[in-house]
Amino acid sequence: MTSFFIFDDVQLADESCPDLAVLVVGGEVDYEVSPQLRQRIVHAIRAGRRRLVLDLSDVTFIDSTAIGVIAGAVAKLEDAGGGSLAVVCAHEKVLQVFRITALDSVIALHSSREEAVSALALTG
Amino acid sequence: MSVDSSELHIPARRSELAAARRYAGEVATAFGLDSESCYEFVYAVNEAVTNAIRHGAADEHGMIHLSVHAEADRLTFTVRDRGTFVTPVAEGTATSECGRGLALMADLADEVQLHTEPGSTTVRLSKARSPECVPARIRGG
Repeated sequence: MTSFFIFDDVQLADESCPDLAVLVVGGEVDYEVSPQLRQRIVHAIRAGRRRLVLDLSDVTFIDSTAIGVIAGAVAKLEDAGGGSLAVVCAHEKVLQVFRITALDSVIALHSSREEAVSALALTG
Repeated sequence: MSVDSSELHIPARRSELAAARRYAGEVATAFGLDSESCYEFVYAVNEAVTNAIRHGAADEHGMIHLSVHAEADRLTFTVRDRGTFVTPVAEGTATSECGRGLALMADLADEVQLHTEPGSTTVRLSKARSPECVPARIRGG
């Protein structure tokens, strides 16, 4: 069984940015659990969140299906009328996957959650 | 488990992926891949097994078949299923959800071979051991 967790950081998504959601993800994110990641992203967008931070700081492994879900989040935000996605990622192995798939040129990567939240707070 | 040759048959279920990674990691470590190569080998194996579960077909017992073979300084992992591989179409956009597994496999393994025929798909990936790496003790079994 894959070690995995995901939860909302409700403290950072405060009243000043009501359309901001911070999803904190950790462990091994593979084909077994990527549907849970997709479900949380879809839920956040349906709830009116248009600025999404995905904090992958505690992710130790991320496969192509999970990377696909993250890429798909950009399309889902566009379909919902526009929005922004920022990813927090400091782990070299996770960064490597973004580089190989060229998603680092599509999605803004940040080294800390605070930095990502600040960057998104300036958008829109 | 012997590093020279070993097999693992797993149910074609998502929940088996962690076990497949564990198996690949144990084999790669015992073979003597350094930690970087070990990670890359396990990553490529995970993608190949994911493809088999996601797009392939299990045998009559619901299983897909993994095997490993060591020859000289090269460790080769084989994933076999009963599906017929369909080459992914070129992705239309950078935000498509699918179509990145083969690219990751090709980048992280030293060599990827895909053999497909009606009702059978076999993916082989290999990784070479650095000449200076001393293999870990090979366990019998």
